[in-house]
Amino acid sequence: MISTHVEFYQGAKGPLFRIIRSPEQVLAHLLFIAPLFEQANQTRHHITRSAINGYHQGLQTIVYDHYGTGDSGGELVEANLNLWQQDIQRQIEEIKANSAKAIYLSLPLSAVLLLSDEMLTLVDGLILLQPDFNGKRFVQQFKRLALAAKLTQADKKNSAEINAQQTIDIAGYTMQEDLLEQLAGQNIPQLTSFNVDCYWFEWLAKTDELSPGRLKQQQALANKTNKLIVQQVAAVKFWQATELQLSAEFLVQEQLAFSQLLSNAAEIS
Amino acid sequence: MTSAPFTEKTSEKISAETTEQKSGQTTAQLIKLLIAIIPNYEESFWHVDTELFGAIAEFDSMTLVTLIGEIEESFDISLDDDDISAENFASVASLTELVLERS
Repeated sequence: MISTHVEFYQGAKGPLFRIIRSPEQVLAHLLFIAPLFEQANQTRHHITRSAINGYHQGLQTIVYDHYGTGDSGGELVEANLNLWQQDIQRQIEEIKANSAKAIYLSLPLSAVLLLSDEMLTLVDGLILLQPDFNGKRFVQQFKRLALAAKLTQADKKNSAEINAQQTIDIAGYTMQEDLLEQLAGQNIPQLTSFNVDCYWFEWLAKTDELSPGRLKQQQALANKTNKLIVQQVAAVKFWQATELQLSAEFLVQEQLAFSQLLSNAAEIS
Repeated sequence: MTSAPFTEKTSEKISAETTEQKSGQTTAQLIKLLIAIIPNYEESFWHVDTELFGAIAEFDSMTLVTLIGEIEESFDISLDDDDISAENFASVASLTELVLERS
């Protein structure tokens, strides 16, 4: 039976819902950072799978909801980028204060927009799942949801009106416009160089070529770290599908990455 | 000289064939993206005349925006907010036309 502990952790502004799976012998810690808005729902199932797989390999896995989202306290309208970053940092610092084992972060899709230099100095490795470091594009896509909704609903707002709002309501998510501005300002050049193991899983069919935009992001990150390992996942982009999909190929590849990270951690200690 | 009209005609024919070929490739690529996003239909369901917006239950605002993102990435183009219209997303054919216009 999996040893699971469910709790409300005291974050910087309020309680954060966390699920912690702790193996008998913890070899390292893995904190899952949820991607933003609808992507959190689209990846939840897979994150749980990954957390269970990691647990079986000796990783203490921590899955939590950002403040104002999911089962955590507060409302999204009270959240901002800095608060979410503080919550991540607080959790990492607490793990570090109680354990000498390595700490890894799992960051799917838009979750990488929450990365900061401070976090990178505290952790030992990153697992990136189709990361999108282009905050501007992420926000543009998110705002397009409101425009697309106009086609199906009686929502009268045009793009100028959407941009002019103080609080913004898109696809049922109500937030401060500032939050989107903060996210839009996030990109790779903002990060300083770092020196931790970094696995980048890129979903790409075997016959397809990497798009220029994705290639640019990979090159930009490669310029920030000399420990970047890019792995191609030739499977369906499970988070985009209109029905629940499981990316078994990815889960196998991720387990190999867990093994490699744990092996590196053992060598260091 | 009689060769000039012949050359022009040949050139026009080649140009039309190239356009047709490009359109076919674009449609094929769009169908590939649609199958990945909306996997619960047989491959035979998808063709140039397949209707999208308003005709497929799964084709909601989330699907539409996901598709836009994939199109921009896959074809290395940028779509305007004004391009998000029921007409452009009415069918695979109208979407092909939009992509070709923006390429």
